[in-house]
Amino acid sequence: MTYYQQQFLKIKEDHFSKDYLYTRIIRAKLLIDNFYYKSIDLDTLAEAANFSKFHFMRIYKKAYGKTPHQYLIHVRIEKAKLFLQSSAPVSTICFWVGFDSSSSFTGLFKKTTGFTPSAFQNRQKKQKSVAANMPIRWFLWYFATKGLNIKNRNFEEVTI
Amino acid sequence: MKIKITSVMVDDQDKALKFYTEKLGFVKKTEVPMGEYKWLTVVSPEAPDEVELLLEPMGFAPAKVFQKALFDAGIPLTAFNVDDIQKEFARLEKLGVAFSMKPTTMGPATIAVFNDTCGNNIQIVQV
Repeated sequence: MTYYQQQFLKIKEDHFSKDYLYTRIIRAKLLIDNFYYKSIDLDTLAEAANFSKFHFMRIYKKAYGKTPHQYLIHVRIEKAKLFLQSSAPVSTICFWVGFDSSSSFTGLFKKTTGFTPSAFQNRQKKQKSVAANMPIRWFLWYFATKGLNIKNRNFEEVTI
Repeated sequence: MKIKITSVMVDDQDKALKFYTEKLGFVKKTEVPMGEYKWLTVVSPEAPDEVELLLEPMGFAPAKVFQKALFDAGIPLTAFNVDDIQKEFARLEKLGVAFSMKPTTMGPATIAVFNDTCGNNIQIVQV
């Protein structure tokens, strides 16, 4: 057994000895992952995990660092970010990811990302058009700072 | 500020590209010849515009010592997320990938560790 496996099993034993509880919590988490676009409430989730609401909230937060509601919002915002790569209308995307009102969607989206959904969508469009030039800057900077001994320098060919 | 690139040190960039694309299923994003080495990155086909993984040559000798120490202790250099770890484990094992740790659950996460054939242990995680 490697050093890493020994450490892993020790942490598991010390902090996550009640595996059977987590199996039930995972069930609720997968429900959010798979059905984030539906209206999901705490009762449904707690029932899926077979816990009382209070107990469920507490264990869920311990496992994932977020309350079930915070995680649901997180999943919806992440999905919205993907959909906003397209040119679909913001109001449609809001509905696709499970929000009832576009004002709460816009508010939560801005709180998480710092941008309104439409500003984010515009920014993605712009970034895609300049992305083609970006790798050149990264590697010039990267090799320069790492000081790798590069033979046959061909920087001329790649200078922007 | 945002994280746009991360790297794994590899002993051979061509071999690494083969493993990371043909076995793991990533796709090549950038390949720019730079003399002895090249700027070589791969991305996940599920997120081609997100973080790139640099298959980084070890031009700096002490890197080899660091890489070997991590490898011998079974410590993963980095980790990738998967949706279904059992499925991924079965797929990779069928392709001949050697696992030092089979899928093991710890609380809400299940992890497994494999050898990338380029000197590293890599962990996959399902959360």
